Amino acid sequence: MASLSLRNICKKYPGGVLAVQDFNLEIKDKEFIILVGPSGCGKSTTLRMIAGLEEISAGELYIGDRLVNDVAPKDRDIAMVFQNYALYPHMTVFDNMAFGLKLRKTPKEEIKRRVEEAARILDIEHLLQRKPAALSGGQRQRVALGRAIVREPKVFLLDEPLSNLDAKLRAQMRTEISKLHLRLGTTFIYVTHDQTEAMTMGTRIVVMKDGIVQQVDTPQHLYDLPCNSFVAGFIGSPQMNFLDAKVLKEDDTFFVEFGSEDTKTRSGVKYKIRLPESKNKDNCLEPYANKEVIIGVRPEHVHDEEELIAKFPDGIVEANVEVTELMGAEKYIYTVCEGQNINGRVAPTSTARPGETIKITIEPGKIHIFDKDTNVTITN
Amino acid sequence: MSNRLFQGVIHQIKDAIDRTVGVIDENYTVIACSELGKIGETHEIMFSAGNLTSNEAFVKGQYTYKPFGTLQRPEYILFVEGNDPQAAKYASILSISLSNIKFYYDEKYDRSNFIKNIILDNILPGDIYLKARELRFNSDVARTVFLIRVNPNNDISVYDIIQNLFPDKNKDFIINISDTDIALVKEIKSGIDSTDLENLAGSIVDTLASEFYYTNAVVGIGTTVEGLKELARSFKEAQVALEVGKVFDTEKAIVNYDNLGIARLIYQLPTTLCESFLREVFKTASIETLDQETLFTIQKFFENNLNVSETSRKLFVHRNTLVYRLEKIKKITGLDLREFDHAIIFKIALMVKKYLRANPVKY
Repeated sequence: MASLSLRNICKKYPGGVLAVQDFNLEIKDKEFIILVGPSGCGKSTTLRMIAGLEEISAGELYIGDRLVNDVAPKDRDIAMVFQNYALYPHMTVFDNMAFGLKLRKTPKEEIKRRVEEAARILDIEHLLQRKPAALSGGQRQRVALGRAIVREPKVFLLDEPLSNLDAKLRAQMRTEISKLHLRLGTTFIYVTHDQTEAMTMGTRIVVMKDGIVQQVDTPQHLYDLPCNSFVAGFIGSPQMNFLDAKVLKEDDTFFVEFGSEDTKTRSGVKYKIRLPESKNKDNCLEPYANKEVIIGVRPEHVHDEEELIAKFPDGIVEANVEVTELMGAEKYIYTVCEGQNINGRVAPTSTARPGETIKITIEPGKIHIFDKDTNVTITN
Repeated sequence: MSNRLFQGVIHQIKDAIDRTVGVIDENYTVIACSELGKIGETHEIMFSAGNLTSNEAFVKGQYTYKPFGTLQRPEYILFVEGNDPQAAKYASILSISLSNIKFYYDEKYDRSNFIKNIILDNILPGDIYLKARELRFNSDVARTVFLIRVNPNNDISVYDIIQNLFPDKNKDFIINISDTDIALVKEIKSGIDSTDLENLAGSIVDTLASEFYYTNAVVGIGTTVEGLKELARSFKEAQVALEVGKVFDTEKAIVNYDNLGIARLIYQLPTTLCESFLREVFKTASIETLDQETLFTIQKFFENNLNVSETSRKLFVHRNTLVYRLEKIKKITGLDLREFDHAIIFKIALMVKKYLRANPVKY
């Protein structure tokens, strides 16, 4: 049983720096949990506290039913893989994987069994007699994973293990690690600052900022229903568009208004987008009538195709195209509308060109609205 | 090298002993012999590898064998033709002389020992050049000293692990400095910058942590130097980096001498000067009068570039609460942290205080 329970975990360094604050999380057996956030948000510190490499300043950590706050790292039944893995250059792959076990005086037969089993899982049986210099980057990474597997731990802790690899290899290894998780059937806790890794690998994602957990949810829920503008901006690539706007109420209908009255530097146009009724669930917009808010729009909900403009007439705005990027299957358009950036992910056939003023439409039903002061989501 | 050394001795004693004499290595291959034709042959000694753990002489067939070596575990076996007491006596005497010759040879030509003497300033500068030539050292190569500090109470030898990570004995030297410190003198290729060095140090720390659960390994990095003489400087810098890190960057596992920042200056200051500086700054009240919460507020205020709104948001307090706290600090210390000049004085004073409290070793 490799469930984990983190209860009110805090990390305070001697200088007073509070790296992690009141971290609460229940991790089920065999889950693949991703800790994601910008540099310095406390994700690696949390992982190191789970590993026992950092002392827990406050709170309780359970692995299974056992309180492990004061248990030495080697007795926690965990294995770690870090970004800066180093293989022993003069040893074969077999010896690299066996070295840790040898130093721990594990019987020879047992070492052989474990290494061969790990090699089979990682599909590197044919490389066992090779030395690291004769391996590709991906193969070396697998050996590093193999060194963790041979320990047969209950929980795997991975701290940005792919950041040293190039983009192509990283994408390949992402899939490999996901497969490995399924094959091993153990709990994985994975730290990354890359939202793509987080979205593609985890069963649940923990988004952190300044040592505080912002949201814990499945990748799809995080994407669709972010709890604040930080999560909304962090998850998703290209990033969500954020616009300063105002909520208006006319009769029983709510609108968001944005734009400018400045006719010297702008066109001086204000755009009003009618929000569907579903956006005012539980009357959540009522307190914000005539108040400033931030609206968030995902680039895929910005369109320049004629039929979609016709389909969403309430969200039409005029914008100046600054840059376009053709990605093959799609095109990114970077536009400015009344001084605010609106980026769109449109069809590759889009004819938008830099310097042009074009009509785009924002799907009203897909607009996220955030409180301007607290950044908390008002409606998704 | 040992082969030639043993062969030279055996060649000289060949005529004095009218028997075949030779030396076998750990793979049971003859590496030196009075009969040249036998060199390279695998000796037919039917015993398990376990026998090499003992120095006891034994007889097999027509030969008497005597394991020997300079380490605790024998590395070589001397063999003398015959299974009579005379052969045992020859084997005994010869093994003593070969072990001694090997020991003195190793000491004289031990490159690692030579590097150790350089970094610990145990060799005269003039001798460095001569010895480097003798040991065929390339003086023009760039090298960096990494100082790895670990907890002495470990079950597994960190020295062994580092040696396995850097096995090239011609380029990299691993030296045990004390029960906590291990120096790694690493040859550095051109084009390697300080980030690469930090990554390398990071790989040491990460390997120790991930494979062997070492929780508190720290690495100090000296500057990259050319010329063997300069290694002592790089080593001292690595030591300074560790000491400065211990005071100012307690959460960092890797401290690079090149990136010590303002801490480098403070570390060089005499304590009397520091004390008088603190007296000057805190004229009205000492720094001790500030409670933990106030110090934490100050730290957050500095982290957020003296921005009141941002700091209050991070501290989850109202802006006016923060302004009140800053006013209180001003009243106590006479320093208004919202002003850059005052803020910088306070920041340095905090660092000086930290430095005095830690009382680090000076190199």
